[in-house]
Amino acid sequence: MRKALTVARWEYLERIKSKAFIISLFLMPVIMVTTAVLPTLLASRPDTESKVIAVIDQSGEFADKISHALADRFVLPNGQPNYILRPIPDDPSGEIAGARRLADSLVISGEIEGYVILPKSMMTDTTVEYRSENIGNFKITERLTGVIREVITERRLRERGFDPQVVKELTSPIELKTIKLSKTGQEEEAGFAQVFFTAYVFMMMMFFLVMTSGQILVRSILEEKSNRVIEVLLSSCRPRDLMTGKILGLSGLALTQMGFWVAIGLVVSVKLSITLVPLGTAILLGGYFVLGYLLYASIFVAAGAPVSSEQEAQQINSYLVLILVIPIVVAFVAVQNPNSTLIRILSFIPVLTASMMVLRIPIQMPSVLEIILTMAVLAVSGIGGIWLAGKVFRTTMLLYGKRPSLRELVSLVRSRER
Amino acid sequence: MLNVTRVRKTFASVTAVDDVSLNVRRGEILGLLGPNGAGKTTIIRMILNIIPCDAGTISFDGREFSEDTRDIIGYLPEERGLYRKSKVLNTILYFARLKGIEADDAKRRGYKWLERFDLLTSFERRIDELSKGNQQKVQFIISVLHDPQLVILDEPFSGLDPVNQVVLKDTLMELKQQGKAIILSTHQMDQAEKLCDRICLIDRGKVVLDGSISGVRNRYGRNTLHIEFSGDASFIPGLPWVKTAHLYENSAEIELNDHEGVSTILRELAGRLEVTKFETSFPSLNAIFLNLVSGAPGTNAGKEGAG
Repeated sequence: MRKALTVARWEYLERIKSKAFIISLFLMPVIMVTTAVLPTLLASRPDTESKVIAVIDQSGEFADKISHALADRFVLPNGQPNYILRPIPDDPSGEIAGARRLADSLVISGEIEGYVILPKSMMTDTTVEYRSENIGNFKITERLTGVIREVITERRLRERGFDPQVVKELTSPIELKTIKLSKTGQEEEAGFAQVFFTAYVFMMMMFFLVMTSGQILVRSILEEKSNRVIEVLLSSCRPRDLMTGKILGLSGLALTQMGFWVAIGLVVSVKLSITLVPLGTAILLGGYFVLGYLLYASIFVAAGAPVSSEQEAQQINSYLVLILVIPIVVAFVAVQNPNSTLIRILSFIPVLTASMMVLRIPIQMPSVLEIILTMAVLAVSGIGGIWLAGKVFRTTMLLYGKRPSLRELVSLVRSRER
Repeated sequence: MLNVTRVRKTFASVTAVDDVSLNVRRGEILGLLGPNGAGKTTIIRMILNIIPCDAGTISFDGREFSEDTRDIIGYLPEERGLYRKSKVLNTILYFARLKGIEADDAKRRGYKWLERFDLLTSFERRIDELSKGNQQKVQFIISVLHDPQLVILDEPFSGLDPVNQVVLKDTLMELKQQGKAIILSTHQMDQAEKLCDRICLIDRGKVVLDGSISGVRNRYGRNTLHIEFSGDASFIPGLPWVKTAHLYENSAEIELNDHEGVSTILRELAGRLEVTKFETSFPSLNAIFLNLVSGAPGTNAGKEGAG
């Protein structure tokens, strides 16, 4: 054990000075901020000048109302209306081809943002066409839909004989305020974005931790093999000590990294006065982090020990990234319905357990039974992984040049321990 | 000190080491000789317990390998390299601690050795800023800093300039005086001849020759002719009394068939060459080596580095 600690100390002190580590230390927060915060910031940034939207009103009676509603509702910071509705006269013949051609040309020339075609049978027909070069602008389409729906609803209700004042009261727009409930009955105000962001941050943190230390581990094994330091090391300590030392050293690095990020997170959350997670949740998350890290470390050791060339190292890394990317891909599904059967099943696949749970816990606390079971699955597979990795490590550290086939690996692992 | 008895190692279908026995005593340098791929490195790795042997025993002062054994062995591998980005002294201290030396003690010894190898000013430099030869010296320091009882050196002289070769040779002699057991693995026969007390010649995984240098040479008798000359000597291998001949630019080592009259030979050579030196003596280790392992080119047995 003393030798393992010597190795751990060396690995920790040498790697903490390495460029790769320092870069990853700062890169992760930067990437988090840019991927998570920037799009929201950009999307919610108010327009600075009025947007002109044309309307071809075949019904002949709604354009004005929509125009007013838009002007009432959405105003630019400088007091100007956000949207200006510009009517395009309908062809008297009832054919809209001419008007459409004109509107199309206006869109292409950039004079208008887009245009809406209100059909003749607005009262019964529920399809309204919006044509624009940029139909990915959610803000415009969402607002237009809302306003048009309101106007039509109001009109329909009036047709049925409701008092205009009553109609107005009844159709007043609703604002959805989201409150997150937790088991203990506490309630906190949290938007979807914030919950998603929190869960996502934890998962990305996990991803980065595992990636950095995995890369460092594979690289260090590769270096020791290519310069044959490995022979001197193995003549000085048991393979098991060497492996334990490496894993310990890397875990130390990961802890440093995490401590750094958590510190940044705390500072940011205090500054913005938002609570990220309650303490109990944080401890639970920490548990999954540690256990998950153990499993990933064993995978990296087992996959990295037979590596003897740069290309192989890259190949191995890309496979491992693949495993780590799966949770990120399913994250969107998980956030919308964290208790779906799919997500529950995925939570029991050891390589996914940590990421899935880390993602689920901030959104909706899974049942105690589920937490205990997944922890058990993770702990057992982590310990088993380390044990197996030790065997692979011992037998493949001295292989140069030729990568063992899977069958050779299996027989090596089975071979008796000396 | 070290006793290797009838060890065997098989990789897949290739027998890399076959029934090899050897021993090294304290205060003695054993030359472990053999062509590339003979199985030298495999033997060394088995001694170091890096790989297990399939059969046979290896003991240290009569005891089997244990965790403590690691701390009394020093090893300089053939293919060198160190952590490129790490500092010289740090690296030395790391390996010393791995061998169980306390940090302060290791530092003190580290400075002493660095001074001896004229590297004291470089202790804070990164390994990859050193020349190849200096890196090799650092690695040698690593292999002896913990005052090992058994030192195993694989090709320690390759890559060193003549000045440092002398420094290293003196150091080895000193270690020997201190009573260390030393194994010198090499295929530079002249080095082995000068330094080793005994040799063990391995070819294709088997011991083909062992014993003291003088004993080995005696066994081959006084049937070797060393000559120096000028002129074209290409006719020599065709002469009837020549068993084998190793020709160099202006000298030759000739193994004689049997005791042809020396004067006859001299007359015959002097008639065709300008002979400047003529001497019958023991064969050189090199010639013995070439004779014993010749006819075995391209042998793949126990390819070094493959395991």
